Amino acid sequence: MTDTNVVAINGIAKRFAGHVAVEGLSLQVPKGVVYGLLGPNGAGKTTTIRMIMNITIPDEGTIELFGDRLGGRHHSARIGYLPEERGLYRKMRVRDMLVFLAEAKGVERARGAAKADEWLRRLDLAEWGPRKVEELSKGMQQKVQFIGTMLHEPELLILDEPFAGLDPINQQVLKDIIVHLSRSGATIIFSTHQMDVAEKICDHVCIIAQGRKVLDGGLSEVKRVHGGTHVAVAFEDTVASGEAMRAVVDLVAAADDSGVFAELKLKEGVDPQVVLERLMRTGARIRRFERIEPSLNRIFLDKAGPRAVSAAPTEVAHA
Amino acid sequence: MRKVWAVIRREFIERVRSKWFLVSTILGPVFMIGVTVLPSLLATRSGRVNHIVLLDEGARGFAGRLSTQLEGSGRYTVNLVQANSDRHDTLRDSLTDAIRSEAIDGFLTVSSATVESGVAEYRGRNVSSLRDMGVMESLLRQSIVTERLMSRGVDPGAVQEAQRGIDLRTLRVTKHGATGESGMVTFFLGYAVGIVLYMIILIYGINVMRSVLEEKQTRIVEVLVSSMRPFQLMLGKVIGVGGVGLFQFGIWALTGYLMVHFRTQILGAFHVSADQVSAVTLPVIGGGLLAVVAIYFLLGYLLYAALFAVVGASVTADSEAQQAQQPVMMLLVFSLIVSFAALTDPGGRMAVVTSMIPFSSPIIMPVRVATSDVPASQLALSLVISAASSLLVVWLSARVYRIGILMYGKRPNLKELWRWARQS
Repeated sequence: MTDTNVVAINGIAKRFAGHVAVEGLSLQVPKGVVYGLLGPNGAGKTTTIRMIMNITIPDEGTIELFGDRLGGRHHSARIGYLPEERGLYRKMRVRDMLVFLAEAKGVERARGAAKADEWLRRLDLAEWGPRKVEELSKGMQQKVQFIGTMLHEPELLILDEPFAGLDPINQQVLKDIIVHLSRSGATIIFSTHQMDVAEKICDHVCIIAQGRKVLDGGLSEVKRVHGGTHVAVAFEDTVASGEAMRAVVDLVAAADDSGVFAELKLKEGVDPQVVLERLMRTGARIRRFERIEPSLNRIFLDKAGPRAVSAAPTEVAHA
Repeated sequence: MRKVWAVIRREFIERVRSKWFLVSTILGPVFMIGVTVLPSLLATRSGRVNHIVLLDEGARGFAGRLSTQLEGSGRYTVNLVQANSDRHDTLRDSLTDAIRSEAIDGFLTVSSATVESGVAEYRGRNVSSLRDMGVMESLLRQSIVTERLMSRGVDPGAVQEAQRGIDLRTLRVTKHGATGESGMVTFFLGYAVGIVLYMIILIYGINVMRSVLEEKQTRIVEVLVSSMRPFQLMLGKVIGVGGVGLFQFGIWALTGYLMVHFRTQILGAFHVSADQVSAVTLPVIGGGLLAVVAIYFLLGYLLYAALFAVVGASVTADSEAQQAQQPVMMLLVFSLIVSFAALTDPGGRMAVVTSMIPFSSPIIMPVRVATSDVPASQLALSLVISAASSLLVVWLSARVYRIGILMYGKRPNLKELWRWARQS
């Protein structure tokens, strides 16, 4: 199994001047997945990423990349990295900037230039190549920076909060790029606290809070194991629905009742079949009854929210 | 090494391409000529003709002869005014008013006691002009000396003969014999060497600092140090920026050489005759001096660029950099000030000692070489000390830099910087 892991972190810890940033963190990123590193602000996501990138060194524990411990800088030609805080040389021309970033990764100049042109065309920035970075809008600068992380065709992409500060259009552009790169075989790790985005594109997630792992695993297992049982119900009319809801109230842990439509979280051990039987017995006409997955956001709030931080880490076996 | 090369290339190309480079390359020499030549030009420029009143308070024939002497110099037009003994004060007041209304430039008062005591008084608007006052004093002295000698019966012709001007010609002698350079020319050469080295080290050192700070502020440094070792980044930066400095220096040196070489033709275009051109002695800048300047520029630049890199790496905001750069700047300014002392006494103890000290030697030693014969043993020792200390400083700086570039927030004090340097 380890030989298919692109990243394997074992018990790393990092402390800064009396404050613990990361503690006893272990995780594995299988080859080819889109891996979401989720957590509230200050959870230790950026510190973890910086340790993977060899920018800071863990106080304890080990990090394996591509099956060895030579470190991020050694493998830098295979890794693309987007730091949390963005920036480019403001006075430099866009195309020169990209070629320089490629060269810093060991790509030959001519090849770097060809790649830069290709990506600038693809993201509708071709005409901006000879312009200075400072002339670009913020969104365009972000796109240029994404290009900079991908020019050398890395096998592993590490993006720290890539969606932060992007407008919906550019979020979509970035999402498309990630999906595209993932389909062409790259492994992608990104951190975010935007659960809706993570839910759409991640295969694997790891939730960390206060420097510790809360849970990790494939997205669907995480949902199955940690989410409890959720059902969605739709009725033909509101009057009958009220009576129907009262009939199942003892089986429901939480309900999001919108009249003709309701999303129910069932109490532990309750069989959805029993709920359906009770609802039907009230005579209400049911248009839809479906067992649904809880949203990642729900799990995130449960596990990493203010009440949940003391919870012991739990793990789900990988598929 | 390809990565270091990429950094060097970027630093060099981006700078040479900028407007700043063009402007500073053109204005640099203008400024340099300004600070070296202009003050002396202004101080020695031939003054205009001053219109003065010579107030004779009973000096009898002396006032008339002094008036002739003053007018004879071609620098004064003189109105001789006889003062009656009872209205000295009112006359002086009205002459003072005439100065205020700019009717005259000043008035010189001589009395019956002037020849005996040597005391005379001048009031005027131009008293702060050392040149004007020097001329007046020497004319007055000549007149008084003549007057005193004549009163003891010396032949006026002999007095005239005795007072003919003298001209001390100073020629610099080196081991290779007389150079034909005057002392003045040597002085200016040394002065220029000191100023040029100071400016170029300062300007490009600060360039390195700004570059480090920019990468830190934009966080590009995170991307870069995840791709290369911090030392590679710093090395590329220092070499790239230093290359721009050498390039600019090269442009200046070449233009200077061409202008000197073709000076007859160039000045001919301004209707200056060839005789006038060749009358001006130019300093001989030998290959040896150029080599010394270039080597000390490299060593000095390396040392100061490394220090400025540390400054850039240890701060987060521009305003902090302004403050943090002060200690480094002070080392440079101190060296420049001492270089003035070295100019007047290039073999003195002060000059010899400071040309051995790592932080000042890059400026002092070339100044000494430009103005005197430095013993080979001293030059060798200075070079060894300078090279060794530059390497040491670069090594220490690289260790601080590697930590500093990833640190944000509070500015570290010296103790913390030292801890960073020792950290593995």
